[in-house]
Amino acid sequence: MAIAALVDITKCMGCRGCQVACKAWNDNSGETDTRNTGSYENPPHLSASTWTRIEFYEFSQNGEVKWYFRKHQCMHCTNASCEAVCPTGAISHMGQVVVINQDICIGCGYCAMACPFDAVHREPPRGTARKCWFCLDRLSNGLEPACVKTCPPGAIQFGERDNLLATANTRINSLRNNGHPNARLYGENELGGLHWLYIIDGPPSQFGLPESPRLATSSLVGQWVGGLITAGVLAAIPFWLLFRRKRQLEESRAGGEHEWLAGDHPSGSTYGWQEWLAGPSSPSSWLTASWEAHKRPSSG
Amino acid sequence: MGGTQKALLRLATYVGVPFAVIGVLLLIVDLGVPIRFWHLLAEFDAVSAMSLGTWILFVWVAAGVIMIILWNIDLFIPSSMSIERTRPAVDRITGALSWIAFVLGALLVTYTGVLLASSNQPLWAASALVPPLFVASAISTGLAVVIITALVGRNQAVSRTMIARLSEADAIVIIIETVILIGFAIWLGVSAMGGATEGLKLLTIGTLAPAFWVGVVLLALLIPLGLELANWGKEIKGRSVWLALAVPSVCVLLGGLILRAVMVIGGQV
Repeated sequence: MAIAALVDITKCMGCRGCQVACKAWNDNSGETDTRNTGSYENPPHLSASTWTRIEFYEFSQNGEVKWYFRKHQCMHCTNASCEAVCPTGAISHMGQVVVINQDICIGCGYCAMACPFDAVHREPPRGTARKCWFCLDRLSNGLEPACVKTCPPGAIQFGERDNLLATANTRINSLRNNGHPNARLYGENELGGLHWLYIIDGPPSQFGLPESPRLATSSLVGQWVGGLITAGVLAAIPFWLLFRRKRQLEESRAGGEHEWLAGDHPSGSTYGWQEWLAGPSSPSSWLTASWEAHKRPSSG
Repeated sequence: MGGTQKALLRLATYVGVPFAVIGVLLLIVDLGVPIRFWHLLAEFDAVSAMSLGTWILFVWVAAGVIMIILWNIDLFIPSSMSIERTRPAVDRITGALSWIAFVLGALLVTYTGVLLASSNQPLWAASALVPPLFVASAISTGLAVVIITALVGRNQAVSRTMIARLSEADAIVIIIETVILIGFAIWLGVSAMGGATEGLKLLTIGTLAPAFWVGVVLLALLIPLGLELANWGKEIKGRSVWLALAVPSVCVLLGGLILRAVMVIGGQV
């Protein structure tokens, strides 16, 4: 059974009870940065101690001003970028819930950079990455997440994902037939399926959601290949220039001293390090040998 | 084979390994929980660029340290013992290690760009040119370090002529780096990824614009390129060495640092 939560944006009244319930249940401290940023949104952003918050969206639609509230938290993606990039294996799925093992996390912050929903944060004093964990302790005791339990208008529902998808589609059809032609579902297929689903009344970007969220590691092979090809090409340039110079010198000396560039030194002497340097095969010596073989005339 | 190339290998190793160790220490300090850094070595995940990069860096540094020890093996054994019989074996080991370091070095310069690109920050992830850009910058700054160290150390095994060739190589690398940077900017401008255009504006006309135009475009690219092209193929003697070789290399080093700062800070704004 896959669990999920469904947020109906058209029902949310922005009371922020979910924020308070989340803080209270998870014993997270209050924010110290409570400056007025020109909005009633508070606190101004998610953090390592604020795992959910209500965002305000105001826009014009069909000549009417629309004011919506969207609950923001970890989406518990099926294909989670944070889990994919975590270098210590601290982030993993427990069922459908993406959790961060606080005993293993080193606080590198890579997961925060990889999350397409800006839901993971790393801050002092703990230093580890922290985020919504779907109140896994409550779930394992047969309870709903704290935010779901407290929501006064029932804008958040919790249950089996398939049932919630059916509920959402029924609700969307109803909205479309009642003056909300742009109503749609978000989260059904994104990143293999999110476990926080949204009924939204417009395009995702209007509600601060990415239209096509991508797995951070989706282009990994291409990135390595592109970088390594560049490295190969650029690393070859110094060798090419040096060998070309060597050939020019040898041609001009026509059988003269073999020691490379020895005559170029102002003193004209061999160099102190050269005896010390005589030694094993190396990439540079292999390239030299390859060049020598290449320019040696064929004996037929 | 001339010893000059081996001198270059040793020079790069002697300079590169200590700086890599310093860099690793700074990265550890930057962790949220630095004391747990060893967890990075308790896990290997090829999909995580940071995990893979950690192992690449670890093995590369280990290979470099062993090479340095073997090159100076005489210092570590009692004078009464002769190592002449084992010298060929030691040479074979350092040869094999230099191959390993060569391959890992290519992976190492690629890793930082891949690390940034494997994210969801628009400035880093919207274009595929961040890894090539960081690779070009790494090779350019690497050449600059070798040039400066050879000049300052008055290393007799690396001739002025060779340093001049390295400087010419750097000019070509900078031209390619410039092309990649222009491609990167265009890619950001036309990308459909949300925030990519804002990232470009941040670099070119936003708060990071002074650092980008002065630090990256002028210091890392145009000034050293102009100086290196002006001295292309010329015989460099006397005090002109400093203007012709050292100044462009110092500019490249400073500019490379600023490029990384601008990209890393810009991606998180």
